[in-house]
Amino acid sequence: MLRRRVILPILASLFTFVLVVACTQANAPTGTSTSSAGDSGGAAGGNPIPIGIAVAQTSNVALLGQEQVVGAKIAEEYFNQEGGVNGTPIRLVFQDTAGDEQGAINAFTTLITQDKVVGIVGPTLSQQAFAADPIADRAKVPVLAPSNTAKGIPQIGEYIARVSAPVAVVAPNAVKTALKIDPNIKKAAVFFAQNDAFSKSETETFQKTVQEQGLELVTVQKFQTTDTDFQAQATNAMNLKPDLIVISGLAADGGNLVKQLRELGFKGLIIGGNGLNTSNVFSVCKQLCDGVLIAQAYSPELTSPINQKFREAYKAQNKKEPPQFSAQAFTGVQVFVEALKALDTKTKLSTLSPEQLRTELNTQILAGKYETPLGSISFDPEGEVNQSQFYVAQIKMEQDGSNGSFKFLN
Amino acid sequence: MGNFLDSYGFLIVSTFWGALLGLSVYLPLMAGQLSLASPGFYALGGYIAAILSTQVLPHSGETYPFGFVLLEMGVAGLVSAVLAVILGIPVLRLRGIYLAIATIAFVEILRVLALNLEITGGAIGIFSIPQPFRSPVGYLWIALPLLVLTMVLLYRLEQSHTGRVFRAIREDELAADTMGIDPTYYKVLSFTLGAILAGMVGAVSAHFFNTWNAKQGTFDNSIIYLAFVLSGGSRTFVGPVVGGMVLTALPEVLRTIANIGGIPLWLGGFLQAMRLIIFGLLIVLGSMFYPQGIVTPELLNRLKLAFRKQPKRIST
Repeated sequence: MLRRRVILPILASLFTFVLVVACTQANAPTGTSTSSAGDSGGAAGGNPIPIGIAVAQTSNVALLGQEQVVGAKIAEEYFNQEGGVNGTPIRLVFQDTAGDEQGAINAFTTLITQDKVVGIVGPTLSQQAFAADPIADRAKVPVLAPSNTAKGIPQIGEYIARVSAPVAVVAPNAVKTALKIDPNIKKAAVFFAQNDAFSKSETETFQKTVQEQGLELVTVQKFQTTDTDFQAQATNAMNLKPDLIVISGLAADGGNLVKQLRELGFKGLIIGGNGLNTSNVFSVCKQLCDGVLIAQAYSPELTSPINQKFREAYKAQNKKEPPQFSAQAFTGVQVFVEALKALDTKTKLSTLSPEQLRTELNTQILAGKYETPLGSISFDPEGEVNQSQFYVAQIKMEQDGSNGSFKFLN
Repeated sequence: MGNFLDSYGFLIVSTFWGALLGLSVYLPLMAGQLSLASPGFYALGGYIAAILSTQVLPHSGETYPFGFVLLEMGVAGLVSAVLAVILGIPVLRLRGIYLAIATIAFVEILRVLALNLEITGGAIGIFSIPQPFRSPVGYLWIALPLLVLTMVLLYRLEQSHTGRVFRAIREDELAADTMGIDPTYYKVLSFTLGAILAGMVGAVSAHFFNTWNAKQGTFDNSIIYLAFVLSGGSRTFVGPVVGGMVLTALPEVLRTIANIGGIPLWLGGFLQAMRLIIFGLLIVLGSMFYPQGIVTPELLNRLKLAFRKQPKRIST
């Protein structure tokens, strides 16, 4: 009975807290932010302009989401030091989407109705985008997808655009590079993780490219991202003697598959999909990772001034090369800032109502051209990104087999 | 008020789905059957609605006809019922943990099937599902009547002959059998009722989420729905409703608390980052101090007494 006396007041107070929250929320559009907006260098006064960042800060996608958070924060600091939007600083509002659809919808709703953001960068996964983007589109809030690469994202609505090039554009470059390295490739085998949305759409592109390049597609093998043993699939494929193997999977399973293929004696080239585009694979396949080709939408070695500044800022903080996800999140924020600037020069932002601002901003985003860490990009009228260049990297492992790097081939 | 509904419409409707899914686990549990098959039927219902609305049923104009949604719910309920009977007759011969394992297997089979079929869109799933309402709050028109109706039916069910039979099987199946009750029939009945409910909720949820994919019906969801019932209370139908609502809302309420003005920034940041940990902690505390769930029949009786005789309070 004593227990009850303790726990009931706790529950009661929690409930009261909930009620208080429900009643006071109307006049509390504050939100948590990184708070760096106020003290930023030369940026003059005025209320900071809120931009929403809705990515997966928790759950099993958090590895990607956290890279995006880092990229966005660097962008906030950088652009506020540059003077923000013609003197008005920007303020990023972070809401965690976790890894599921419900979380994404909740984060978007909170950003739109409570934080009153002018636009949103997010969410992390394409599946989440299919759930949450229609909410923003109906509320007429522009969304820039930093990492959604599935087919059909910009087509969700007129307020939805993306800075992440679809797989259909990025992936073929790896196959072309492989043919450049070894023109004698005739037969290709394709592997993919069938329970991963990204790998599923990526493999379709790979299979199409392989055939378009005049190669013979000898087999398509499926696995699960949770698998650790790939002997059966690897042996099946090896029996058909392919010269090239293409893998669409995530870091752990893809890395293991590379390792087991090499252990079974596969000597040809291996192409990894974008899921393997992370230094996390190094610890999985160690020395055997060496030579894997990966197509990328971003190269840290791009020599444009904006990328060098981004790379420096990232390296100063994290002591390693910036990954693609951080660069894309940075780009998302950059596009918002530059579009806001262009809009502000035409009509003062403070004279626009929030609804007008969002609509005009959306038009401005699609009209502009941007020099970003990804290279120069622009958008087509649907909101699909036009990116000028893509990159192919090859994994180079050091002698001890524990450290490696991506070496860019073009 | 308008702002409140805009902000919390989605969450409010989500809590109703949580309550209904809790009830779909509770129904087989009434007859003592620990079934984890609800997410399977939920996913099935969602796929039925997603496929019907994007490929089969023609519609024009911005909003999707309300009647079609009801039709999809009907179809989903019907298919779920048929499948539940076919599955239930062999599976319900198993008891306790073996039944739970068999139903987990069923959920997995449906998930792998959805990943491999063309019509379900593989891992990406089906997207651009048309909307019957202009905002998430509109779904209250379906969620509220469905929940009230289900609760009324369950209230009647618990008072009726069938409800007593369920309870008899739950307490002692062998004894019930010797009294002349056909346990298989009633077990399949309770299982099927739960499946119909889960299928119907799935059908609306596909519209509600705009998209549907294989992640909706996983083992994780089985456990979450079970948690709704266990933390709410498994002895009366009010329990799963309370449990489903509270557990669905809690992570979002913690997010909102982190967001209100006047809270120091570090505390807000802490709550924002830690909300899922706090959520887990509350579940652990709840099951330690309330092993029977928050809502028990005794509590309901006490409340009833307290309402009837205001002055007389029963001391605890």
